[in-house]
Amino acid sequence: MKRAMRRRATVGRILIGLASLVFLLVLVVQVLHAAGAIAAGFSTWRPILIVYLLWAIAFGTAQVLMRGERGQRALFLLPAVFFTVAVVIFPTIFGLYIASLDWNLSSIEGPHFSGLDNVRAMLSDAYYWNALSNMVFYSVAVLGEYAIAFALALLLSAEIRARKFFRVVFLLPMMLSPVAVSWMIGKSLLEYRFGPAATLARYLGWDNPAFFASPWMARFTIQAMDAWVSIPFIMIILLAGLQAMPKEVQEAAKVDGANGWQSFWHVTFPIMLPVSITVLIIRIIFKLKLADIVINVTAGGPGGATDTVSSFIYRVYRDRSNVGYGTALAMVYLLLIIVLLTLMLRLSKRWTQRVT
Amino acid sequence: MVKQQEHDQHPAMHPSRRTVIKSAAGAAALGATGALGTFSELAFAQANLRAEITKIPGVGKGAPTDADWQKVGELCLGPTKASIKEGEFKGVELSFMGLNNQNLHNLLFRGFLKPWEAYTGAKISWIDLAQADYNPRLQQAIATGTVDFDILEMGAPFEGDVCGKGLASEMPDWVKKQIDIDDYVAYLKPPVGTWNGKTYRVTIDGDCHNFNYRTDVFSDATLAKAWKDAGNTSEWGMPKTWQQVQAVTKFLKGQKFKGQSVYGYLDAPKPWGGFGFYFLGSRATAYAKHPDDKAWLFDIDTMKPRINNPAWVRAIQDVIDALPSEPADQLNADPNTTGFQQFLAGIGSMIPWWGDIGQVAKASDTSVIGDTVGFDILPGSDDVYNSKTGKWDKLPSGPNHAPNCAYLGWGIYVMARVNGDEKKHKAAWSAAAHLGGKDLSLWTVMYPSGFQVHRTSHSHIDEWVAAGYDRKYITSYLNSQFNSYNHPNRAVEPRIPGIFQYYSIAEDELTKIFSGKIDAQTGANNIAAAWEKLTDQLGRERQIGLYKASFGA
Repeated sequence: MKRAMRRRATVGRILIGLASLVFLLVLVVQVLHAAGAIAAGFSTWRPILIVYLLWAIAFGTAQVLMRGERGQRALFLLPAVFFTVAVVIFPTIFGLYIASLDWNLSSIEGPHFSGLDNVRAMLSDAYYWNALSNMVFYSVAVLGEYAIAFALALLLSAEIRARKFFRVVFLLPMMLSPVAVSWMIGKSLLEYRFGPAATLARYLGWDNPAFFASPWMARFTIQAMDAWVSIPFIMIILLAGLQAMPKEVQEAAKVDGANGWQSFWHVTFPIMLPVSITVLIIRIIFKLKLADIVINVTAGGPGGATDTVSSFIYRVYRDRSNVGYGTALAMVYLLLIIVLLTLMLRLSKRWTQRVT
Repeated sequence: MVKQQEHDQHPAMHPSRRTVIKSAAGAAALGATGALGTFSELAFAQANLRAEITKIPGVGKGAPTDADWQKVGELCLGPTKASIKEGEFKGVELSFMGLNNQNLHNLLFRGFLKPWEAYTGAKISWIDLAQADYNPRLQQAIATGTVDFDILEMGAPFEGDVCGKGLASEMPDWVKKQIDIDDYVAYLKPPVGTWNGKTYRVTIDGDCHNFNYRTDVFSDATLAKAWKDAGNTSEWGMPKTWQQVQAVTKFLKGQKFKGQSVYGYLDAPKPWGGFGFYFLGSRATAYAKHPDDKAWLFDIDTMKPRINNPAWVRAIQDVIDALPSEPADQLNADPNTTGFQQFLAGIGSMIPWWGDIGQVAKASDTSVIGDTVGFDILPGSDDVYNSKTGKWDKLPSGPNHAPNCAYLGWGIYVMARVNGDEKKHKAAWSAAAHLGGKDLSLWTVMYPSGFQVHRTSHSHIDEWVAAGYDRKYITSYLNSQFNSYNHPNRAVEPRIPGIFQYYSIAEDELTKIFSGKIDAQTGANNIAAAWEKLTDQLGRERQIGLYKASFGA
């Protein structure tokens, strides 16, 4: 029995070894072929994907042969791992490679390696820094969105009339595509000549209601539109948190004679803190990707006042075909987001522990 | 001399039942008017065909439908039938990449080519792209070597990217004859459409910026009086120079016309995917394009940008100076806004645009200005900058005009990948020639199609009037177009790879200038520096070579 198991384990090891060898061999041949070093190879990279799939199957089979039932259990996880490697990890690494290239699609020489040149260029790129500073504004504004959303969530969790109706109505903006919002609100409602909002503003005494002509006005208007779409998302999560909150705690506070503000600030808010932190982090992640409304309504203007990192990358990549630089910007931004969120999670953990 | 088009018509009148009947009908009609020679018969059939198609559905009788496009395509099949046997391309499959802007372009091509497919037996599959998706899709196909189309609708500015890289198929001589290539207006003749002496493009469109203005504003007695009262010595009327445009725009600020605020010139400062740069170009050409110098955007020998020379900086400064006199939200207006939401809606009295404004002004429900719009070539300038001497010249002939031949129109190109297959090669070129046919083109420039006049034969005003156009209106419109195309000092866009990247970079910097973050000269210097960097990235020596080639040098 033991010998049979050992034999099976050996077969498994040989299978992995062979499959890995074949995979590596084909990969090396194709890389050399693509680099022009050898004539043999495939015209496309698709065979590499097939070999990868075969290798994954061989690896899974070998797990069962080598580790029996534990191997079978691993089969539940392995497809997800291989899939993640193929569509997340590999593209990210490949993205880092692209980011190290000087690659403009219009250049006849094609891509060539330029090391950290793209990152160096980024450091002196006023547009990138301008967009980053705008992102600070947009991200801080999330706190305002959160405050409004919390108020709305409290309102909707209270015993008010037509509560269900208002819940649906307040959720509607979230269901709209930001592109639709750009056109419906940014380009129609807020339109300087015929937009109802502009007409109302004129009626109220604002002679020239131009919502996108001065930097701060444009920035605030874009932020307001994005907030209008996103507040329902924050609100719905906070509402779920409020409803999951044990009623006894509120009642105890009431019995102890706490007024409305005291019971919110000392009871509801601290209990809601973990939910709040989660929703704020998710919202900031979304906010850092803000692009659609900006691209559609102001194209980043006036003078870059509303530009976001994503809308700038969009222009670099799409209007200027600057693939290497655009990817480098995106990669640096990804790293910035990861670092920022890790820090936020650390801080928030410490903070919630202290509060609770 | 019998023209090729007429010659091609001759065999077309014999083989099919349809053409026999048509000939018989024509002969009967001619019999009634007396005996005429063969030449006259053919000319008559030709004129007849043109008159017939331009009445489908008739100007002012609603937008043409797919059925109309097919009918026009069917009637214009003559030249195809003359050179291709029925069913000759059976089994050939072609892929066609083009635009679907405003439900035009490819959608028209589908209709025009349906009868062609039925006759030749070829099948066409379609790749439809929105304008904004077009550049990236094409660039990606070129850069990654994944050209997955046989026929391409493309603008001349991309010829550097496509023809310069050997991706296009050279036009056979029989196609040149079939489409009567000599009929193209002067500015669309070589070097446009050619690369290193080889012809690649079937032109289906002509593009230039003309000047659109409000005739009612510039003939208004009250405004004329106010103009004089303001101390102006010149007569009130449509400005002929940019200096006058500036003066009129500043004067009109705060004036009322028909009870409403009236504005002068409308700038388009908001970026528009690179296309917005053309509008600064229209302000700049009269300053920057010297009659003694072909170049106006870059120096020919070095590709050193001229964007920061005194001429361009003056044009940028003009925008800065005019913006306070324009509507309050003008900073957020792109050319689409100035053309379609402002000018056609009655706001502003002067804009440069492509010929679309004239095509739409009378025919669209969204236009309120209808009969009150006039057309001219772009304004001139009292003085013009001479890049060679670094001085401003006053020309003895008067103001310097330099119409901005922006974008050079759309064309049909056949890709080099069909070259290996003779049948496919012939089929692709036959389809391209059908779409670029002389008679069919008359229809496309008269009706909403996305294409404007581009052949000398489009200048026959009687044909337009017969189709339903008002003579005065169409005369003004066509003159503005043809006088731009044929202007000896026209500013022709450089057809170099990545040209839209240069424009896109400039747009970003211009928006900073127009919003007051930096001054005109600093911004222009920034654009020049970024352009130099881009030229280096794309390969300076090669760019210089292609730039020279684009001038036909």
